[in-house]
Amino acid sequence: MNDLQFGKRNKRGDWAPSAPAETAPVFVFPPQPLAFLKWLPGYFLPYNLLFAVLTLVWWRWVLPDVETMKTFAWGWILRLFIVNCVAVFLFYGAFELRLYVFRAQGTRFKYNGKWPAEQRSKAFFFERQNVDNMMRAFGTGLPIWTAIEVVILHAFATGAVRWLTFAENPWYLGFLALIVPIIHETHFFLLHRAIHWGPLYRWVHSVHHNSVNPSPWSSLSMHPVEQLGYLGVAFWHLVIPSNPILALYQLHFAGFGAIPGHVGFDKVELATDTAVDSHAYIHYLHHKYFEVNYGDGMIPFDKWFGTWHDGSPEGEARMNARYEKLKARANAAQAAG
Amino acid sequence: MAQWVEACGVDDVELEGVIRFDQGERTFAVYRSPDGEFYCTDGLCTHEAVHLADGFVMDYEIECPKHSGAFDYRTGAAKRLPPCVNLRTYPARVQNRRVLIEVA
Repeated sequence: MNDLQFGKRNKRGDWAPSAPAETAPVFVFPPQPLAFLKWLPGYFLPYNLLFAVLTLVWWRWVLPDVETMKTFAWGWILRLFIVNCVAVFLFYGAFELRLYVFRAQGTRFKYNGKWPAEQRSKAFFFERQNVDNMMRAFGTGLPIWTAIEVVILHAFATGAVRWLTFAENPWYLGFLALIVPIIHETHFFLLHRAIHWGPLYRWVHSVHHNSVNPSPWSSLSMHPVEQLGYLGVAFWHLVIPSNPILALYQLHFAGFGAIPGHVGFDKVELATDTAVDSHAYIHYLHHKYFEVNYGDGMIPFDKWFGTWHDGSPEGEARMNARYEKLKARANAAQAAG
Repeated sequence: MAQWVEACGVDDVELEGVIRFDQGERTFAVYRSPDGEFYCTDGLCTHEAVHLADGFVMDYEIECPKHSGAFDYRTGAAKRLPPCVNLRTYPARVQNRRVLIEVA
Protein backbone atom coordinates (compact mmCIF):
# COMPACT_ATOMS: atom_id res chain seq x y z
CA MET A 1 0.00 0.00 0.00
CA ASN A 2 1.12 3.54 -0.63
CA ASP A 3 1.00 5.20 2.77
CA LEU A 4 1.43 8.63 1.20
CA GLN A 5 -2.14 8.36 -0.07
CA PHE A 6 -3.23 8.38 3.56
CA GLY A 7 -0.74 10.74 5.13
CA LYS A 8 2.63 12.41 4.80
CA ARG A 9 6.19 11.75 5.88
CA ASN A 10 8.41 14.50 7.24
CA LYS A 11 12.10 15.08 6.74
CA ARG A 12 12.87 12.93 9.76
CA GLY A 13 11.01 9.98 8.26
CA ASP A 14 8.02 10.16 10.61
CA TRP A 15 4.68 9.39 9.01
CA ALA A 16 1.46 11.08 10.12
CA PRO A 17 -2.08 10.52 8.88
CA SER A 18 -3.74 13.29 6.86
CA ALA A 19 -7.03 12.94 8.67
CA PRO A 20 -7.07 14.17 12.26
CA ALA A 21 -7.76 11.60 14.97
CA GLU A 22 -11.35 11.50 16.15
CA THR A 23 -13.09 10.48 19.32
CA ALA A 24 -15.85 7.90 19.04
CA PRO A 25 -19.30 9.30 18.14
CA VAL A 26 -20.80 7.95 21.36
CA PHE A 27 -20.70 10.66 23.98
CA VAL A 28 -21.68 13.49 21.67
CA PHE A 29 -24.46 16.01 21.66
CA PRO A 30 -26.51 16.19 19.57
CA PRO A 31 -26.41 12.43 18.98
CA GLN A 32 -24.99 11.24 15.66
CA PRO A 33 -26.84 7.99 14.95
CA LEU A 34 -25.40 7.45 11.47
CA ALA A 35 -21.84 8.07 12.60
CA PHE A 36 -22.49 5.79 15.58
CA LEU A 37 -23.74 2.95 13.36
CA LYS A 38 -20.71 3.36 11.09
CA TRP A 39 -18.40 3.27 14.11
CA LEU A 40 -20.10 0.37 15.88
CA PRO A 41 -18.52 -2.60 14.03
CA GLY A 42 -15.09 -1.24 14.94
CA TYR A 43 -16.12 -1.33 18.58
CA PHE A 44 -16.22 -5.12 18.37
CA LEU A 45 -13.84 -5.90 15.54
CA PRO A 46 -11.21 -7.02 15.60
CA TYR A 47 -9.86 -6.48 19.10
CA ASN A 48 -12.82 -6.61 21.49
CA LEU A 49 -14.15 -9.78 19.95
CA LEU A 50 -10.71 -11.36 20.04
CA PHE A 51 -10.26 -10.51 23.73
CA ALA A 52 -13.74 -11.86 24.50
CA VAL A 53 -12.94 -15.11 22.68
CA LEU A 54 -9.63 -15.40 24.53
CA THR A 55 -11.54 -14.98 27.78
CA LEU A 56 -13.86 -17.84 26.93
CA VAL A 57 -10.87 -19.98 25.95
CA TRP A 58 -9.30 -19.29 29.34
CA TRP A 59 -12.53 -20.06 31.13
CA ARG A 60 -13.03 -23.31 29.28
CA TRP A 61 -9.51 -24.68 28.95
CA VAL A 62 -7.07 -22.83 31.17
CA LEU A 63 -8.74 -22.16 34.49
CA PRO A 64 -9.31 -24.95 36.99
CA ASP A 65 -12.71 -25.80 38.44
CA VAL A 66 -14.25 -23.57 41.08
CA GLU A 67 -13.37 -25.95 43.94
CA THR A 68 -9.67 -25.70 43.04
CA MET A 69 -9.83 -21.91 42.91
CA LYS A 70 -11.03 -21.83 46.51
CA THR A 71 -7.49 -22.44 47.71
CA PHE A 72 -4.25 -20.68 46.82
CA ALA A 73 -2.23 -23.65 45.59
CA TRP A 74 0.96 -23.37 43.55
CA GLY A 75 -0.19 -25.92 40.95
CA TRP A 76 -3.00 -24.03 39.28
CA ILE A 77 -1.48 -20.60 39.90
CA LEU A 78 1.82 -21.55 38.29
CA ARG A 79 0.01 -23.14 35.36
CA LEU A 80 -2.03 -19.97 34.88
CA PHE A 81 1.11 -17.85 35.06
CA ILE A 82 2.85 -19.95 32.42
CA VAL A 83 -0.15 -19.88 30.09
CA ASN A 84 -0.43 -16.10 30.49
CA CYS A 85 3.27 -15.70 29.71
CA VAL A 86 3.07 -17.91 26.64
CA ALA A 87 -0.06 -16.12 25.41
CA VAL A 88 1.48 -12.68 25.81
CA PHE A 89 4.70 -13.85 24.22
CA LEU A 90 2.79 -15.18 21.21
CA PHE A 91 0.35 -12.27 20.91
CA TYR A 92 2.78 -9.40 21.42
CA GLY A 93 5.49 -11.38 19.67
CA ALA A 94 3.37 -11.81 16.55
CA PHE A 95 3.19 -8.03 16.10
CA GLU A 96 6.85 -7.62 16.99
CA LEU A 97 7.98 -10.37 14.63
CA ARG A 98 6.00 -9.17 11.65
CA LEU A 99 6.43 -5.41 12.03
CA TYR A 100 9.78 -4.98 13.78
CA VAL A 101 11.84 -8.12 13.12
CA PHE A 102 10.79 -9.05 9.58
CA ARG A 103 9.76 -5.43 8.94
CA ALA A 104 7.14 -6.84 6.63
CA GLN A 105 5.75 -3.45 5.67
CA GLY A 106 8.95 -1.43 6.13
CA THR A 107 8.18 2.01 7.52
CA ARG A 108 4.87 2.28 5.70
CA PHE A 109 2.36 3.84 8.15
CA LYS A 110 5.07 3.94 10.85
CA TYR A 111 4.69 7.03 13.01
CA ASN A 112 8.32 7.22 14.06
CA GLY A 113 10.72 6.70 11.19
CA LYS A 114 13.39 5.19 13.43
CA TRP A 115 13.54 1.61 14.64
CA PRO A 116 13.84 1.11 18.41
CA ALA A 117 16.39 -1.68 17.91
CA GLU A 118 18.74 0.80 16.22
CA GLN A 119 18.56 3.39 18.97
CA ARG A 120 20.55 2.54 22.07
CA SER A 121 19.64 4.60 25.11
CA LYS A 122 20.78 4.72 28.70
CA ALA A 123 17.11 5.00 29.64
CA PHE A 124 16.82 1.23 29.18
CA PHE A 125 18.27 -1.85 30.82
CA PHE A 126 21.33 -2.82 28.75
CA GLU A 127 20.59 0.31 26.67
CA ARG A 128 18.13 -1.70 24.57
CA GLN A 129 14.46 -0.86 24.46
CA ASN A 130 13.21 -4.33 23.58
CA VAL A 131 15.28 -6.08 26.24
CA ASP A 132 14.17 -3.54 28.85
CA ASN A 133 10.52 -3.71 27.78
CA MET A 134 10.42 -7.51 27.81
CA MET A 135 12.16 -7.70 31.18
CA ARG A 136 9.54 -5.40 32.66
CA ALA A 137 6.63 -7.17 30.98
CA PHE A 138 7.66 -10.66 32.06
CA GLY A 139 9.57 -9.75 35.22
CA THR A 140 6.81 -7.84 36.96
CA GLY A 141 3.92 -7.37 34.52
CA LEU A 142 2.90 -10.99 34.10
CA PRO A 143 3.32 -11.91 37.79
CA ILE A 144 1.09 -8.95 38.71
CA TRP A 145 -1.38 -9.82 35.95
CA THR A 146 -1.61 -13.40 37.24
CA ALA A 147 -1.81 -12.31 40.89
CA ILE A 148 -4.78 -10.06 40.11
CA GLU A 149 -6.42 -12.88 38.20
CA VAL A 150 -5.90 -15.33 41.06
CA VAL A 151 -7.24 -12.94 43.71
CA ILE A 152 -10.36 -12.21 41.67
CA LEU A 153 -11.08 -15.86 40.86
CA HIS A 154 -10.50 -16.84 44.47
CA ALA A 155 -12.87 -14.12 45.67
CA PHE A 156 -15.65 -15.35 43.39
CA ALA A 157 -14.97 -19.02 44.12
CA THR A 158 -15.09 -18.60 47.89
CA GLY A 159 -18.18 -16.41 47.79
CA ALA A 160 -16.32 -13.41 49.16
CA VAL A 161 -18.11 -11.44 46.45
CA ARG A 162 -21.46 -12.12 44.86
CA TRP A 163 -21.34 -14.25 41.69
CA LEU A 164 -24.11 -13.28 39.30
CA THR A 165 -24.97 -15.93 36.73
CA PHE A 166 -25.72 -15.31 33.07
CA ALA A 167 -28.79 -17.53 33.35
CA GLU A 168 -30.36 -15.33 36.01
CA ASN A 169 -29.01 -11.94 34.90
CA PRO A 170 -28.65 -12.09 31.12
CA TRP A 171 -29.55 -8.46 30.40
CA TYR A 172 -27.52 -6.93 33.19
CA LEU A 173 -24.41 -9.02 32.53
CA GLY A 174 -24.83 -8.55 28.78
CA PHE A 175 -24.86 -4.81 29.35
CA LEU A 176 -21.85 -5.07 31.65
CA ALA A 177 -19.97 -7.01 28.97
CA LEU A 178 -20.75 -4.27 26.47
CA ILE A 179 -19.39 -1.53 28.70
CA VAL A 180 -16.15 -3.30 29.62
CA PRO A 181 -14.26 -0.96 27.23
CA ILE A 182 -15.95 2.04 28.85
CA ILE A 183 -14.94 0.89 32.34
CA HIS A 184 -11.44 0.38 30.99
CA GLU A 185 -11.19 3.83 29.44
CA THR A 186 -12.56 5.59 32.53
CA HIS A 187 -10.20 3.73 34.85
CA PHE A 188 -7.28 4.27 32.49
CA PHE A 189 -7.91 7.99 32.13
CA LEU A 190 -8.16 8.58 35.88
CA LEU A 191 -5.09 6.48 36.66
CA HIS A 192 -3.13 7.98 33.81
CA ARG A 193 -3.99 11.53 34.82
CA ALA A 194 -2.91 10.77 38.39
CA ILE A 195 0.46 9.30 37.45
CA HIS A 196 1.27 12.35 35.36
CA TRP A 197 1.34 14.37 38.58
CA GLY A 198 4.99 15.42 39.12
CA PRO A 199 6.22 13.14 41.91
CA LEU A 200 4.24 10.12 40.67
CA TYR A 201 5.42 10.76 37.15
CA ARG A 202 9.06 10.79 38.17
CA TRP A 203 8.73 7.76 40.43
CA VAL A 204 6.33 5.62 38.43
CA HIS A 205 5.19 6.68 34.99
CA SER A 206 8.50 7.89 33.58
CA VAL A 207 9.43 4.23 33.14
CA HIS A 208 6.69 3.77 30.56
CA HIS A 209 7.51 7.07 28.88
CA ASN A 210 11.10 6.01 28.31
CA SER A 211 9.67 4.33 25.22
CA VAL A 212 9.21 7.50 23.20
CA ASN A 213 9.16 5.37 20.08
CA PRO A 214 6.83 2.64 21.37
CA SER A 215 6.74 -0.84 19.94
CA PRO A 216 4.65 -3.88 20.92
CA TRP A 217 6.79 -4.81 23.92
CA SER A 218 6.37 -1.29 25.30
CA SER A 219 2.72 -2.09 26.00
CA LEU A 220 3.27 -3.51 29.47
CA SER A 221 6.66 -1.96 30.08
CA MET A 222 5.74 -0.05 33.21
CA HIS A 223 6.79 0.43 36.79
CA PRO A 224 5.19 -2.32 38.93
CA VAL A 225 2.99 0.26 40.65
CA GLU A 226 1.60 1.30 37.29
CA GLN A 227 1.18 -2.32 36.21
CA LEU A 228 -0.84 -2.96 39.36
CA GLY A 229 -2.95 0.14 38.81
CA TYR A 230 -3.44 -0.49 35.12
CA LEU A 231 -4.28 -4.19 35.25
CA GLY A 232 -6.13 -3.63 38.53
CA VAL A 233 -9.04 -2.32 36.48
CA ALA A 234 -10.39 -5.88 36.80
CA PHE A 235 -10.86 -5.32 40.54
CA TRP A 236 -13.90 -3.17 39.70
CA HIS A 237 -15.73 -6.46 39.19
CA LEU A 238 -15.30 -7.15 42.88
CA VAL A 239 -17.01 -3.86 43.62
CA ILE A 240 -19.84 -3.88 41.12
CA PRO A 241 -22.04 -7.01 41.00
CA SER A 242 -20.51 -9.16 38.28
CA ASN A 243 -19.35 -12.53 37.07
CA PRO A 244 -15.78 -13.89 37.01
CA ILE A 245 -15.87 -14.28 33.24
CA LEU A 246 -16.45 -10.56 32.88
CA ALA A 247 -13.70 -9.80 35.38
CA LEU A 248 -11.39 -11.97 33.30
CA TYR A 249 -12.55 -10.21 30.13
CA GLN A 250 -11.79 -6.86 31.77
CA LEU A 251 -8.29 -8.08 32.64
CA HIS A 252 -7.67 -9.44 29.16
CA PHE A 253 -8.97 -6.21 27.67
CA ALA A 254 -6.32 -4.31 29.63
CA GLY A 255 -3.48 -6.80 29.22
CA PHE A 256 -3.83 -7.91 25.62
CA GLY A 257 -5.53 -4.65 24.70
CA ALA A 258 -2.46 -2.60 25.52
CA ILE A 259 -1.00 -3.66 22.19
CA PRO A 260 -3.03 -1.53 19.74
CA GLY A 261 -1.94 1.74 21.35
CA HIS A 262 1.73 0.85 21.22
CA VAL A 263 2.07 -0.92 17.91
CA GLY A 264 3.74 2.14 16.36
CA PHE A 265 1.99 1.80 13.00
CA ASP A 266 -1.25 3.46 11.92
CA LYS A 267 -2.25 0.48 9.81
CA VAL A 268 -1.13 -3.11 9.91
CA GLU A 269 -1.01 -4.44 6.38
CA LEU A 270 -2.57 -7.86 5.89
CA ALA A 271 -2.26 -8.08 2.10
CA THR A 272 -1.26 -5.84 -0.78
CA ASP A 273 -4.43 -3.77 -0.60
CA THR A 274 -5.76 -4.68 2.82
CA ALA A 275 -4.85 -3.20 6.17
CA VAL A 276 -6.34 -3.03 9.65
CA ASP A 277 -6.47 0.30 11.48
CA SER A 278 -4.50 0.12 14.69
CA HIS A 279 -6.22 3.10 16.36
CA ALA A 280 -2.80 3.84 17.82
CA TYR A 281 -2.39 7.46 16.74
CA ILE A 282 -4.07 9.03 19.77
CA HIS A 283 -1.84 7.19 22.21
CA TYR A 284 1.22 7.62 20.00
CA LEU A 285 0.72 11.39 20.25
CA HIS A 286 0.65 10.99 24.02
CA HIS A 287 4.01 9.19 23.94
CA LYS A 288 5.40 11.88 21.66
CA TYR A 289 4.05 14.98 23.40
CA PHE A 290 3.51 13.71 26.97
CA GLU A 291 0.76 16.05 28.17
CA VAL A 292 -1.94 15.33 25.60
CA ASN A 293 -4.38 12.46 25.13
CA TYR A 294 -4.50 10.84 28.54
CA GLY A 295 -7.40 8.74 27.30
CA ASP A 296 -7.76 6.57 24.23
CA GLY A 297 -10.49 8.61 22.58
CA MET A 298 -13.52 6.41 22.97
CA ILE A 299 -14.83 8.71 25.68
CA PRO A 300 -13.85 12.33 24.92
CA PHE A 301 -12.27 12.93 28.34
CA ASP A 302 -9.40 14.86 26.78
CA LYS A 303 -11.80 17.15 24.93
CA TRP A 304 -13.68 17.78 28.16
CA PHE A 305 -10.51 18.54 30.11
CA GLY A 306 -8.67 20.48 27.39
CA THR A 307 -5.86 18.03 26.67
CA TRP A 308 -7.06 16.70 23.31
CA HIS A 309 -4.61 16.55 20.41
CA ASP A 310 -5.86 15.13 17.13
CA GLY A 311 -2.60 15.58 15.24
CA SER A 312 -3.89 18.64 13.34
CA PRO A 313 -2.21 22.08 13.26
CA GLU A 314 -5.07 23.35 15.47
CA GLY A 315 -4.38 20.61 18.00
CA GLU A 316 -0.70 21.48 17.87
CA ALA A 317 -1.49 25.16 18.48
CA ARG A 318 -3.66 24.35 21.50
CA MET A 319 -0.93 22.16 22.93
CA ASN A 320 1.72 24.80 22.32
CA ALA A 321 -0.37 27.46 24.06
CA ARG A 322 -0.55 25.26 27.17
CA TYR A 323 3.15 24.51 26.85
CA GLU A 324 4.09 28.21 26.70
CA LYS A 325 2.32 28.78 30.05
CA LEU A 326 4.10 25.79 31.56
CA LYS A 327 7.44 27.04 30.26
CA ALA A 328 6.88 30.56 31.54
CA ARG A 329 6.32 29.20 35.05
CA ALA A 330 9.31 26.83 34.88
CA ASN A 331 11.71 29.45 33.52
CA ALA A 332 10.55 32.04 36.06
CA ALA A 333 11.16 29.53 38.85
CA GLN A 334 14.58 28.74 37.38
CA ALA A 335 15.50 32.42 37.22
CA ALA A 336 14.30 33.01 40.79
CA GLY A 337 16.10 29.96 42.13
CA MET B 1 35.18 37.04 32.40
CA ALA B 2 33.99 35.77 29.04
CA GLN B 3 36.55 34.22 26.74
CA TRP B 4 36.52 32.79 23.24
CA VAL B 5 37.62 29.19 23.03
CA GLU B 6 38.13 26.97 20.04
CA ALA B 7 35.49 24.24 19.96
CA CYS B 8 36.09 22.48 16.63
CA GLY B 9 36.81 22.90 12.97
CA VAL B 10 34.16 24.06 10.51
CA ASP B 11 34.20 20.71 8.75
CA ASP B 12 33.80 18.76 11.97
CA VAL B 13 30.07 19.52 12.01
CA GLU B 14 27.78 18.58 9.16
CA LEU B 15 25.01 20.87 7.96
CA GLU B 16 22.08 20.21 10.30
CA GLY B 17 24.52 18.53 12.63
CA VAL B 18 25.72 18.78 16.19
CA ILE B 19 28.83 17.79 18.09
CA ARG B 20 29.76 17.71 21.73
CA PHE B 21 32.47 19.98 23.10
CA ASP B 22 33.80 19.62 26.64
CA GLN B 23 35.83 22.19 28.48
CA GLY B 24 36.91 21.39 32.00
CA GLU B 25 33.82 20.09 33.76
CA ARG B 26 31.47 21.85 31.39
CA THR B 27 29.89 20.37 28.31
CA PHE B 28 28.46 22.18 25.29
CA ALA B 29 26.68 21.32 22.07
CA VAL B 30 27.86 23.04 18.90
CA TYR B 31 25.40 23.11 15.99
CA ARG B 32 25.62 23.91 12.32
CA SER B 33 22.33 25.11 10.89
CA PRO B 34 20.98 24.30 7.40
CA ASP B 35 22.31 27.68 6.20
CA GLY B 36 25.79 26.98 7.58
CA GLU B 37 25.68 29.20 10.67
CA PHE B 38 27.17 27.95 13.93
CA TYR B 39 25.44 28.03 17.32
CA CYS B 40 26.27 26.80 20.78
CA THR B 41 24.18 25.79 23.79
CA ASP B 42 24.71 23.99 27.05
CA GLY B 43 25.34 20.36 26.23
CA LEU B 44 22.81 18.72 28.52
CA CYS B 45 19.04 18.60 28.19
CA THR B 46 17.37 20.65 30.94
CA HIS B 47 15.03 17.73 31.60
CA GLU B 48 17.25 14.79 32.50
CA ALA B 49 20.82 15.91 31.80
CA VAL B 50 21.28 13.80 28.68
CA HIS B 51 23.87 14.88 26.09
CA LEU B 52 22.05 16.69 23.32
CA ALA B 53 24.89 15.97 20.91
CA ASP B 54 23.54 12.41 20.73
CA GLY B 55 20.24 13.82 19.51
CA PHE B 56 18.79 14.70 16.16
CA VAL B 57 19.02 18.11 14.47
CA MET B 58 16.25 19.09 12.11
CA ASP B 59 16.15 22.63 10.75
CA TYR B 60 16.75 24.82 13.79
CA GLU B 61 15.74 22.30 16.43
CA ILE B 62 17.69 19.77 18.43
CA GLU B 63 15.73 16.76 19.63
CA CYS B 64 16.89 15.13 22.85
CA PRO B 65 17.76 11.46 22.31
CA LYS B 66 16.09 10.30 25.51
CA HIS B 67 12.55 11.67 25.49
CA SER B 68 12.41 13.59 22.21
CA GLY B 69 12.08 16.93 23.94
CA ALA B 70 13.14 19.70 21.56
CA PHE B 71 14.90 23.06 21.71
CA ASP B 72 15.51 25.86 19.25
CA TYR B 73 19.29 25.88 19.38
CA ARG B 74 19.46 29.48 18.13
CA THR B 75 17.63 30.85 21.16
CA GLY B 76 17.75 27.93 23.58
CA ALA B 77 13.95 28.00 23.84
CA ALA B 78 12.36 24.71 24.85
CA LYS B 79 9.98 23.71 22.06
CA ARG B 80 8.48 20.42 23.14
CA LEU B 81 7.89 18.57 26.40
CA PRO B 82 9.19 17.15 28.60
CA PRO B 83 11.77 19.95 29.03
CA CYS B 84 10.25 23.23 30.16
CA VAL B 85 13.40 25.13 31.09
CA ASN B 86 15.26 26.82 28.22
CA LEU B 87 18.84 26.00 27.31
CA ARG B 88 21.55 28.55 27.88
CA THR B 89 23.13 29.73 24.63
CA TYR B 90 26.62 31.04 23.88
CA PRO B 91 27.87 33.23 21.00
CA ALA B 92 29.71 31.32 18.28
CA ARG B 93 31.82 32.57 15.37
CA VAL B 94 34.16 31.21 12.74
CA GLN B 95 37.75 32.32 12.46
CA ASN B 96 40.27 30.71 10.10
CA ARG B 97 37.86 27.82 9.61
CA ARG B 98 37.80 27.12 13.31
CA VAL B 99 34.60 27.48 15.37
CA LEU B 100 34.99 29.62 18.47
CA ILE B 101 32.49 29.91 21.27
CA GLU B 102 32.33 32.54 23.94
CA VAL B 103 32.01 30.90 27.33
CA ALA B 104 31.27 32.89 30.41
